[in-house]
Amino acid sequence: METQMLHIFRNTPLGRETLLQTSYFCKHLDILPVIYIPRYLKFLMYFENEVVQVDLDSSYLRSPDTARDHALQIVKNMGLPEPKFLEPKHFTASTLPDIPVDYDFMSCPRSISDLTSKIGLGYIGPRVRRIVHSARFPVLIPSSVFKPWKSLAVLFGGSANAVKTLRLGMRLSSISGLPLDVFTQEGRRKRGDYENIIQQEGLNTEMDKCVRNWRFFESRSLAENLYEVPDDALIVVGAYGHGLVKELLFGSTMEIVQSICPNSMLIVGPNYRALI
Amino acid sequence: MDDRLLLIAFGAVVGVCSGLAAVALYYGLVFMVEHLSVLREHWWVFVLPGIGMAVSSLFLEKVVREGAGHGVPEVVYSVSRHGGLLRLRSSFSRLISNCLTIGSGGSAGPEAPVIISGASIGSNIAKLFSLNERQRITLVGCGSAGALSAIFNAPVAGMVFTIEIIMGEWSAANVVPIAVASVAGAQITRLLRAPEVSFTHLSFNVDLTSTLASVGLAVVTAAVSIIFARALRYSHHFSDKIPLPVWIRAFIGGCLVGAIGLMLPGVLGEGYHSIGKMVEGAFAGGLGLMVLLVAAKILATALTLGWGGSGGIFAPCLVIGSFAGLMYHRFIDLLWPGLSWVNEGCYALLGMAGLISGTMHAPLTGIFLIVDITGRYDTILPLILVSALSTTICHVFEPASFYLRDLIEKGQYLKPRTDAKVLADMSISELVEKDCRTVPRNMLLGDFVKVVQQSHRDYFPVVDENTGEFQGMIHLNDIRPYLFDSVMYETVFLEQIMKINVETVDIHDELSDVLDRMDANGLFSMPVVSSNRFVGMISKATLLDRYRNELIVQTQH
Amino acid sequence: MELEINEFCSCLELPLSTVERWIRQGRIPVKKIGDRCLFSDTALRKWAQEHNLPYCPPDEQTAKKQAEKPESLSEAVGRGGIYYDLPGKTVEEVLGEAVSAMKDIESESDRQTLYETLVAREQMMSTGIGNGVAIPHPRTPLTQSSIAPQIAVCFLAKPVDFNAVDKKPVYVLFVLVASNSKQHLQLLSRLSYCLRDTTFLNFLSRIPPPETLIKKIIEFESHLNGGE
Repeated sequence: METQMLHIFRNTPLGRETLLQTSYFCKHLDILPVIYIPRYLKFLMYFENEVVQVDLDSSYLRSPDTARDHALQIVKNMGLPEPKFLEPKHFTASTLPDIPVDYDFMSCPRSISDLTSKIGLGYIGPRVRRIVHSARFPVLIPSSVFKPWKSLAVLFGGSANAVKTLRLGMRLSSISGLPLDVFTQEGRRKRGDYENIIQQEGLNTEMDKCVRNWRFFESRSLAENLYEVPDDALIVVGAYGHGLVKELLFGSTMEIVQSICPNSMLIVGPNYRALI
Repeated sequence: MDDRLLLIAFGAVVGVCSGLAAVALYYGLVFMVEHLSVLREHWWVFVLPGIGMAVSSLFLEKVVREGAGHGVPEVVYSVSRHGGLLRLRSSFSRLISNCLTIGSGGSAGPEAPVIISGASIGSNIAKLFSLNERQRITLVGCGSAGALSAIFNAPVAGMVFTIEIIMGEWSAANVVPIAVASVAGAQITRLLRAPEVSFTHLSFNVDLTSTLASVGLAVVTAAVSIIFARALRYSHHFSDKIPLPVWIRAFIGGCLVGAIGLMLPGVLGEGYHSIGKMVEGAFAGGLGLMVLLVAAKILATALTLGWGGSGGIFAPCLVIGSFAGLMYHRFIDLLWPGLSWVNEGCYALLGMAGLISGTMHAPLTGIFLIVDITGRYDTILPLILVSALSTTICHVFEPASFYLRDLIEKGQYLKPRTDAKVLADMSISELVEKDCRTVPRNMLLGDFVKVVQQSHRDYFPVVDENTGEFQGMIHLNDIRPYLFDSVMYETVFLEQIMKINVETVDIHDELSDVLDRMDANGLFSMPVVSSNRFVGMISKATLLDRYRNELIVQTQH
Repeated sequence: MELEINEFCSCLELPLSTVERWIRQGRIPVKKIGDRCLFSDTALRKWAQEHNLPYCPPDEQTAKKQAEKPESLSEAVGRGGIYYDLPGKTVEEVLGEAVSAMKDIESESDRQTLYETLVAREQMMSTGIGNGVAIPHPRTPLTQSSIAPQIAVCFLAKPVDFNAVDKKPVYVLFVLVASNSKQHLQLLSRLSYCLRDTTFLNFLSRIPPPETLIKKIIEFESHLNGGE
């Protein structure tokens, strides 16, 4: 079935870059972009066990007259077919539309509700976090300036969720035909343990087929090692919700990655479900 | 743990929590009124409601960014479409804004805010424990019942209202936990405060003439209910058209309410005080004053709620109802001065029931609320009469209850166990039949006949072999005339036979719309096409099959 | 026994999205471990029964599929047997000989009914389909009798006038017996596929020995199966 990706369009130069990034993603993975041009500053997303209210910053409503044309132009220039424009059908209140959540991907800037001036490395807005944590789809967080990526980089940590992330990475690589690198930071678990996990999951042959290179970082911290990730790679990383306390104390992998790498990232949340 | 026991336990917890929320609002209101009453002497006191409403609307819009109405419709909407998911912020936002609105003198009730707070508490507790939708909806009901029974100290009314308005269905699995929550909420109230609306010490001797006369009261309350509902809606639409920021609108509205309050202080606030006086028969004032009071209270409430204040219509309904009851009593007293009528307080009670039944289309809530607050069944006969008649009359003029009207107009109200609910739950993607074989547009008829032979379906989507784009459809009937014509086999391409411009369905379309289109065009199946790619077929036969499954699964717990 | 969600979907013959929604809405008894769902077979069987849904575990499904497998012509011929040099000068006589030659009929009464129905069908309209071949068969499947579905191939000693469509005398009979009409049609269609083919007819006219005939039929059937 046709896969679809939701994009909330912001009619500003920053919004242009993110839509370019989304279009690039869609083009390489044969996805149909679904563009929502907000008419209200708020919207709700009803997930399976959570309702997330997104309060957009006011730049999303800027120059509504040109928004549709701009969006269309960006998508068409990328060589994609005509995108779909989302018109919310349901409203919780008259100015509070519900945005459907049955998409396969969503594209989100690092922050969706705060002023654009705040957007920088090391900051992911609370709304985006909640979307990542509740959504069944992976969330693409584009870099702030459009840069075509030429490979995929999966950060693989060995947990059950990480295996899902790895599978997604391999699937994306086989659809797009772009090379895939896997990076693993050795900690308590050593190289052999990770290879065992792959073996148990029956991913051996697929690994050999899809993955160009599996790098293990044996020394140094993850933060230092991230320099090895190619500058033109789309980072595929999981965010698994280790609990609030642990996250505050140690920070999750996602936090470290997003605060260090300016690359575009595809974040796979704990509720991500693979399309079967 | 057994599902039912689990729900009862959770229901009790939710009932306690929402009861606490209701008590908190009560003390908030008491605090506000105490501290603001010192200002009553000043001439500028009429701006007080204005300030209160402006702050309240600013709080809702800018601080918690609620962006929604007075509460009950949101709860009903979330129950019917999203399995009872409510935002966490809703559990306190309305409490604070309502406290500001009523405390400063705005004419509104505290019920809708406590209902949405209670419901949101229930929903978020369910979320915390990852309960499923059915359980979550029950807990939302528990929250609303607990809150309502706590604010009125009326456990039965809380339960009945929840089932009548919020849940829309009676089922054993729901009723028990909701009843438990209701009782828990009422207990919290009895522990922590003295309820202000309670007339357990009064007794009424209702004779036959009074019972008969209550038919007239039903007509009056129905008329007042209709006027009230329309005034509320009109006021809302009118204020929406004013091109001013929300908080300035709220300020103007509040000042107007304050100005009315300068002349008739009885219309301000939630009005429980005047209700008490009326039911006890201690309210002075002739027929003219009563008519004026009814009109003023309606106006004040419409201004408060329509122009940006936050609150419910429950308490205003009670106040207007008791004014209307008294008004009717004065009126019949004037007509037949010789006859001995029952105490005027009884008519105030009947008026309340009539107005609640009429405005909300909830006759049982009206009846049980009065039974709850009087604690006796003296008045049950005229009560039933007034409630039933008032609802029936209102139903003719206002097709839906005040709470549900907007939802129904937008087609968003999905009563459980109805066609609309079943269709809304199923999605196109669940019904798509993907075993259709696509054929290229440049295929020869002869080759196509071979395809037909091996296929077990009647429909064949035609696609472009290079781009994969959907071109049209071929039904078996379209080729029937040429089926045995071997000359055509080698000369005709499918492109020439296929139907173009066929009606297609998008995978995200609503099932009810798709069915309507099928009916309108006399189709039995339609192709599902997503961005020019054929996805599958959707057919009425499969739909009926699955519709029935769905209906059975939804209705049998 | 516990099932994974995919297995369960195939048991109910419903799409995954529907089942997932039902789980979310709390309509199916399910045990959740993390984000995995486990279903107990017995609880689900009861649930499906209460809700009037078909419930068919995977092993039963494969059994059902096997039962639905189309009748094989070669197997039917194997059951029916191949007979040579049947005497007889009239239609009734050769039919009688054929029926009494068929090895796989246990009771005499079945044999008698079969003969009567074959003759009755012949009287209505000849089953001689031309090129010296006839396919005698009962008009309605013999649901009452215990005769297994089969085809008896009977080469006649002397060609008999069967009043066939092309008026040619018939030298071979394919006596077709089926226990239901679906089987009947399947066998008939497979048989007619072979008999339409001239190479098969030529081969048949040489009156081949049983092994080669069966082999030829298997060869033809494989074309049919391959085409599907």
